[in-house]
Amino acid sequence: MKMPRAFLALCAAAVILIGVASFSAPCLAQDASAANPMSFAETKQVLGLEGLKHNVMGTLAAENGSLVFTKGKKKVVVPAASITEVMTGKDTERTIGGTVGTLTMFAPYGGGRFLSLFRTKIDTLSLEYSDPSGGVHGVVFALSEGNALGAKKALLNQGAKTSVPPEAEADAQAKPKEKKQ
Amino acid sequence: MKWTGYLSALLAVALVFVFAGSAATTQDKPQAKIQASAIQILMVTSDEVKLPIAFQLALYENLIEQVQKANKFSHVYRDGDTAAASAPDLVILHSNVYGFKQGSEGKRQVTTVAGATQIKVHCDFTDKAGKSELAQDVTGNVRFIGGNLRATFDFAKKVTQIIVTNVQ
Repeated sequence: MKMPRAFLALCAAAVILIGVASFSAPCLAQDASAANPMSFAETKQVLGLEGLKHNVMGTLAAENGSLVFTKGKKKVVVPAASITEVMTGKDTERTIGGTVGTLTMFAPYGGGRFLSLFRTKIDTLSLEYSDPSGGVHGVVFALSEGNALGAKKALLNQGAKTSVPPEAEADAQAKPKEKKQ
Repeated sequence: MKWTGYLSALLAVALVFVFAGSAATTQDKPQAKIQASAIQILMVTSDEVKLPIAFQLALYENLIEQVQKANKFSHVYRDGDTAAASAPDLVILHSNVYGFKQGSEGKRQVTTVAGATQIKVHCDFTDKAGKSELAQDVTGNVRFIGGNLRATFDFAKKVTQIIVTNVQ
């Protein structure tokens, strides 16, 4: 009789622990992202960074005077002082991408065409930088909507340069919304 | 008598072939190939049209990537690279966008006939002194599948083909 009670007590303790863990985990995650507001997870490096393939997902960060793009163990660092231009833009991309997305196009009865209508708005961040021998490089990132301006400001704070100040871009982005209203 | 007839007919046919062959060689006389061991690719400019910077950078980066892959030159220099000045037999590629139509990937997927992206670029290969050695217009397209930036990849592939054909 004692064994089932002990077993029940153990089960209750496990349930409580799991509950506490599930509540605390998101808090910890929030704390981690709050600790580094200059980090942009789920950023796609469309092209341009040395040593990385096109359309690679990773984390873009502006820290220690540099732009840092991390994809797993790979880390590409570009000194912010060498960045001569940072520009933002807007675009859309398919929600279902890659091979699966392309194959859905061939689905019968136009089902694929219907699926391809699901598109998400993205921000693009384009930048130009010079390597030590003076060679110009161009990099294009795709970020989730609303993040490009923040990333631009973060890079400018680290020492990057731009021909269009972020305030001017913010105004330009706000104007079309006003017109719609 | 019969044999002479055959022989004269054969001779006539042979003569026709010889003349046709010589005419063809004069028509297909290959253009003098550009002698270059290194290339410098300058940043793509757009004097006449307003080109989004993402397209401009994608044109430039794809061009460098494709030319490097072609393995035609001992060195591919970027715009601004100071080492290019001392490179012997350097050819410089100037690209200027004169036509741009940004399509829609969504439209392309839904209709397959509308929404094509098209980039028209004038490419000029010059020597160090700026003397033009080859000039050609190239159009980059993306019609059915792919993002708008794919037009820049198409352009880069076409320019690389021109280089492979015209550079020794």
